[in-house]
Amino acid sequence: MNTRKATLPRVKPAPAARGASRSTTRSRLNIRAWREHHAYSFFSSLARIGARPWATALTVLVMGLALALPLLLFLLLQNVQGLSTGWQEAREITVFLKPEIEALTAKQFAESLRARSDVAIVKIRTPDEGLAEFRSQSGFSDALKVLQANPLPTVLVVTARDNPRDKTNATPELVGQLKSDPKVDLVQYDAAWRQRLGAILTLGERVVQVLAGLLALGTLLVVGNTVRLDIQSRAAEIGTLQLLGASKGFVRRPFLYIGLWYGLLSGFVALLLVLVVQLVLGDALAHLLSSYDNRFAFSALGWIPALLVLVVSAALGWFGAWLVASRHLAVGQPA
Amino acid sequence: MIRFDQVTKRYDSGYEALHDLSFEIEAGEMVFVTGHSGAGKSTLLKLLALIERPTRGSVALAGQNLNQTRRRGIPRVRRGIGMVFQDHRLLMDRSVFENVAMPLLIAGLPREETAKRVRAALDKVGLLEREKAAPIILSGGEQQRVGIARAIVAKPPLLIADEPTGNLDPKLSTEIMELFAEFQQVGATVLVATHDLHLIRRMGKRVLVLDHGRLIDDFRPPVVGA
Repeated sequence: MNTRKATLPRVKPAPAARGASRSTTRSRLNIRAWREHHAYSFFSSLARIGARPWATALTVLVMGLALALPLLLFLLLQNVQGLSTGWQEAREITVFLKPEIEALTAKQFAESLRARSDVAIVKIRTPDEGLAEFRSQSGFSDALKVLQANPLPTVLVVTARDNPRDKTNATPELVGQLKSDPKVDLVQYDAAWRQRLGAILTLGERVVQVLAGLLALGTLLVVGNTVRLDIQSRAAEIGTLQLLGASKGFVRRPFLYIGLWYGLLSGFVALLLVLVVQLVLGDALAHLLSSYDNRFAFSALGWIPALLVLVVSAALGWFGAWLVASRHLAVGQPA
Repeated sequence: MIRFDQVTKRYDSGYEALHDLSFEIEAGEMVFVTGHSGAGKSTLLKLLALIERPTRGSVALAGQNLNQTRRRGIPRVRRGIGMVFQDHRLLMDRSVFENVAMPLLIAGLPREETAKRVRAALDKVGLLEREKAAPIILSGGEQQRVGIARAIVAKPPLLIADEPTGNLDPKLSTEIMELFAEFQQVGATVLVATHDLHLIRRMGKRVLVLDHGRLIDDFRPPVVGA
């Protein structure tokens, strides 16, 4: 066989891939291309998750539950903290007088306490009042009817006042003096218990933080796994796009948007779950709180935290998808 | 336009697909690459599209040594090449229009411009009225024409096709080749790998013959028939 070079009939310059005067319009072109790419990713990702409504719903529900759990715990903690700060601020000392103390003596004792500089208010709760309160709140009203006489003592509720000179807390001193008074049977002022509650709450806060971290990791894995499966099922398409000259970013972007949608939707699911739980438990909570003289109101999730939940969940979705897409699309480069 | 300089390609399995291959193709040429199956036709095209890298030697495209193209630069090189595949590689979950529009979308063209160019490309391959159809309902020949429309829509300076008529009857094959020839006439370089010798003879273009990875012939047959 003979090998010879072919003579060329004509050599035309190849047409440019894009329009003329480019250097000036380059950056504008790039911005427009970037916008077009994002618009494409935005709509195609929505179409993709819309094409599989059940799989999408399942993924979103799992993620939503994972996000709702720390959110509910946070809410619970927030409310308990609200209650406990209320308690800690209250300087109320409950003084149970001895049963044999008459009403008049009790009144005189209360007057003498009111005269002190470290006492703000003294409330007298007579045995009758105590019994009435007990009846209305404890649910023992039938059992109480059996009692012939009122077994309850007179109770003084003393509210301490800060030392007027140096603003220090004078309560412990006051408690000590009340305890040593012969008319007093029992003084209830549970400083230690309050400290313990504070410690428990701090622990609870940590638990919520750790749990939130773990569950956030869980949602990352859920998004990552879903996107990984999606990438696998679209391997042929990805290969084709890469052959057509699509950059890594172009191929990856729709998957990132899918992650974003998953995250955002699961954020909504989590908020919805929190709302439902608030509605279901709302009555019971209101009842419980009313027993604290309505000094505390149930604080629901506010607008700003709710918005923050959506932002964080969307970011988690995006990040989870990014982790997986970056890895898998890099491995599968020249298709 | 294309320059292979002592190119050898050995796959990881040890199989040597191309051996010491050197040739040059000028801009605006239409060239067939032929040879028995396994002669290295596909590998040759893969080196141009940077799907594979040469083991030795260098491949230059439009004056640019492809050996020096980094991974990040690969998409840009591929955007300058229109590729037609034997199995079409259409995106089955999108319409004909969306398939053809994909290279322009990747290039970031505005939508109005894209629509105009896609319709022009579809008109060229005679499928303008099928733009909304799903590729799956088209015949093999129609699918291949969609693939060609997609390859030419961005007006790349180089068009490469790997067995584009592999599954088509002779009449359809001729039609497809005429499309490639038309594309050459407007200035593009066209490189077609095929083992259809009748077709090659009929077209009267330059032919590179490969045998076991070596270039054994480079000739231009006289135009016969049509």
